[in-house]
Amino acid sequence: MNRPEAQPLRLVPLELELSFAASDWRQDPVGLCRGALAAHGEPLRWAITAAEVRPGHQQWLRLEAVLLVP
Amino acid sequence: MTAELPTILLIPTGIGCDQGGYAGDALPVARLLAAASGCLITHPNVMNGASLYWSDARIQYVEGWSLDAFARGALALRPQRRQRLGLLLDAAIEPELALRQRQVFEAAGATLGLELGPLISTDAPLGVSLRLAESGSSWGSLERPDALLRAGERLRQAGATAIAVVARFPEDSSAEALQAYRRGSGVDALAGAEALISHLLGRHLGLPCAHAPALAPLAPMGELDPRAAAEELGYTFLASVLVGLSRAPDLLPPGQGPLPGDISIGQVGAVVAPAGALGGETLLSCAARGIPLIAVQSNHCLLQVGAEQLGLTVLSAPNYTAAAGLVLALREGLAPRALLRPLPPLEYLSG
Repeated sequence: MNRPEAQPLRLVPLELELSFAASDWRQDPVGLCRGALAAHGEPLRWAITAAEVRPGHQQWLRLEAVLLVP
Repeated sequence: MTAELPTILLIPTGIGCDQGGYAGDALPVARLLAAASGCLITHPNVMNGASLYWSDARIQYVEGWSLDAFARGALALRPQRRQRLGLLLDAAIEPELALRQRQVFEAAGATLGLELGPLISTDAPLGVSLRLAESGSSWGSLERPDALLRAGERLRQAGATAIAVVARFPEDSSAEALQAYRRGSGVDALAGAEALISHLLGRHLGLPCAHAPALAPLAPMGELDPRAAAEELGYTFLASVLVGLSRAPDLLPPGQGPLPGDISIGQVGAVVAPAGALGGETLLSCAARGIPLIAVQSNHCLLQVGAEQLGLTVLSAPNYTAAAGLVLALREGLAPRALLRPLPPLEYLSG
């Protein structure tokens, strides 16, 4: 595995709040989180730091992350 | 004995875990779970006790970015008897402190018999900074990731198969957070930035990597918490990193292998994590695969991201001793519910 970096990389912190249908959340929790983070850069390290199941079968999350951004 | 049950032990770094939030103080837990499972996969935060370490052929030492990729099925692990170690030093480290690091490296060869490869200093200071996020978790950043990656590439080209990184960390020995950590409360302020460094290098090189901070020695403290004491025994935190990396598994991208003895996520039979810290990528990947999750109630941390908050089904263990019992039950093919009293009722499906 080698990843030649064409451009200098920056590390950028990000906090996001997200909400998903609980049924979607159970199917692919990582894909949903990574997909939301990918809109801002490549997720290098992330974690859910707050969560709750909300009325209407909604899964609410707060993510903290550091992203790689060219 | 029944065949081994590969088990992942997670204790996220930088969130103030009662066990594993200090200086390798989850090592007894790792040893217990390695014995119960026969094969434990865990990360440097669990194993690194600065000058103190424990080597066990049943424990696979895998840094966090690679562990996430393993759980997604993007990597497999190939256990190794030894790795050829490279040492990467941040150019910001003062000469005397850098000399201490090099001497630990040499001692690991002379005293422990580890295979030493090349060493290098970065061509620019890495510029490590520390930060606490809104949750109170420790994070951090790096001004010059490019310098880190260039140095890592040179070590790999020179034959290193695993890389130990030592970066100069900012310090304020009088800081309230540091004093609280030494007394056994609060968060390891360095941990988040350490994880970023090893994640970045592991992602770039595809080699086992781990990090030790370079810090000036602290004045002795009488009321030092035993869990933090391993970091005050010497001049560096490097010895445990070198020992961990010396038998870290190779990281295999898809399409390589498998050979007998390789470990893939499909073989993992359990994941053990603090009950309030279930929101990491490795754990969620395992949950989606239906791998049993063992949530340890006694390992409190500053997060409250548990099974209830995430809608997950877990096996609850009051402490790590009970978690080891559950791992052993799973390894033996016992249904954990059969060990409970009263027995849970049967589930009748309507016709």
